[in-house]
Amino acid sequence: MTGIEVRNLTKRYGPITAVDTLSFTVRPGAVTAFLGPNGAGKTTTLRMMIDHVAPTSGSVTICGRRYRDLPRPTTVVGAVFDASAFHPHHSARDHLRIYAAMGGFPDGRVQELLTLLGLADAAERRTGGFSTGMRQRLNLATALLGDPRVLLLDEPSNGLDPEGTAWLRSFLRDLADDGRTILISSHVLSEVQQIADDVVVIRQGRLLTAGPLHELTGTAQAVLVRSPDSAELSRILMRHAQAVRADGPDELRVRGLDAARIADLAAGQGLRIHGLTSEHPSLEQIFLDLAGERTNG
Amino acid sequence: MRPLIHAELRRLLATRMWLGTLLVAALLGGGLIGLLAVIGPENFDPPMPGLHTEAGVRAVLGFLGFTAFIPAAIGTLAVTSEYRHRTVNFTFLFAPDRWRVLAAKLSTYGFAGLIYGIVLSSTAALALFGAAALRGVSLGLPTATVIELLARLAVAMGAYTVLGVGMGALIRHQVAALCVVIGYLYGAELLLMMIPGVRHLYPWLPGGATSALTDFTAVADALSQQLSAEPVRLLSPLAGGLLLLGYTVLASTAALLKPMRRDVI
Repeated sequence: MTGIEVRNLTKRYGPITAVDTLSFTVRPGAVTAFLGPNGAGKTTTLRMMIDHVAPTSGSVTICGRRYRDLPRPTTVVGAVFDASAFHPHHSARDHLRIYAAMGGFPDGRVQELLTLLGLADAAERRTGGFSTGMRQRLNLATALLGDPRVLLLDEPSNGLDPEGTAWLRSFLRDLADDGRTILISSHVLSEVQQIADDVVVIRQGRLLTAGPLHELTGTAQAVLVRSPDSAELSRILMRHAQAVRADGPDELRVRGLDAARIADLAAGQGLRIHGLTSEHPSLEQIFLDLAGERTNG
Repeated sequence: MRPLIHAELRRLLATRMWLGTLLVAALLGGGLIGLLAVIGPENFDPPMPGLHTEAGVRAVLGFLGFTAFIPAAIGTLAVTSEYRHRTVNFTFLFAPDRWRVLAAKLSTYGFAGLIYGIVLSSTAALALFGAAALRGVSLGLPTATVIELLARLAVAMGAYTVLGVGMGALIRHQVAALCVVIGYLYGAELLLMMIPGVRHLYPWLPGGATSALTDFTAVADALSQQLSAEPVRLLSPLAGGLLLLGYTVLASTAALLKPMRRDVI
């Protein structure tokens, strides 16, 4: 097992349950987005993975072991939490040299990462003057010192400009394609939709759903039907579809049937159709639907 | 443990603070002691015994004990700055055994504090002997004894640095930790000495232990005189040194029991 396995993880702060019997797995070779609104328990869960926060109950194993039991932990896991976790008077090189020594990695690795992350020209500059993008690159360089197979990133694109976000996406994609396990948390769902292979969605510390992104968006796919016979058509479709909802006087939103099947059913009853549009919902929509179902349920 | 100590040394040398601190040590050792010796304790207000007496030499050198807040503050900053600048995120990622992090800081900063003490004491020795020669005064203590006293001061500086590390780990919040460490050294302990009955605890407090280690009793004696009380008997120099280290062990153990185990959020 080279990924992450979370089992019945719970964290309580007094009367508040931040994470509630959470279970999911994160597979290698993929980018997994860990999603949920602010305060959902994402950061607490990530911190429990690396022993920054002690769970109330449950467990997390990375590559089959608890973090503290890994012989050289940073050769297995790299993690980034705060946007800035540097002494402002240290240069980027000094910062990396400190943690290279701590992890027992050669100084050559520092130069390698400064070059890889595009920080070679800023290596001697104090980190206090770094832009958000440069800080994020230095964060990643620190996390990658041990060439870990697992990378945990908490809201990595916070504060990044579009260019920085695009760079980060491509960088993480390359790391995942190299077989690494990448888990990134975010509350900006549209942003991770472009990079995630899998998603884990939580709300109020509880799991809403987990699985491949395409399955999630596939099941949530809807078809928008425009028909002057919408009332009659709705009755027919209700017998076959998961859900049929009237969106307007001549409009129906149908889930659980594809456009071709809807057209066939309408033709079979001699009902007119003026338009069929397949919709691929955004992660936001899926999340809102899931949250709504959970709340209503 | 070696990688962690290596990392702490790199952290210590990464800014120029170490250079500034050693400069301060040289200024305090050479400058302060030089100034006091050149003026002569007999010209202080109120006058004190001159450098030709044992009491005079001890009084002048004893002033260095008041600068112990500097190494104590440096030790405190070694831990609290990790929390302030959030580097603790990476530090505990690289070293999940938090006691190792603290042990590495105690070793590294104990060594650094000793270096600070050596610079302080060496420059003080140069200044004292130089001023005495300049004024044509024969010191009231043999050279070997002066050197021994200064060596004890250097050890005290190392002990205060590790005590600062322990207090920083215990309190974590930078400003609060510095206020407690400096406030205690400069206020609380002296106030305690003024309370009848409680002042007998002084030999067992960090300041009393430092006075024992450095053989500097001027403050305790002066306060006793003002309060018309019996002089407080200090511990032996060795016991004083061990007591200082005991306080460090106490602060570090307390820090490891709770504050350093707290969730990093």
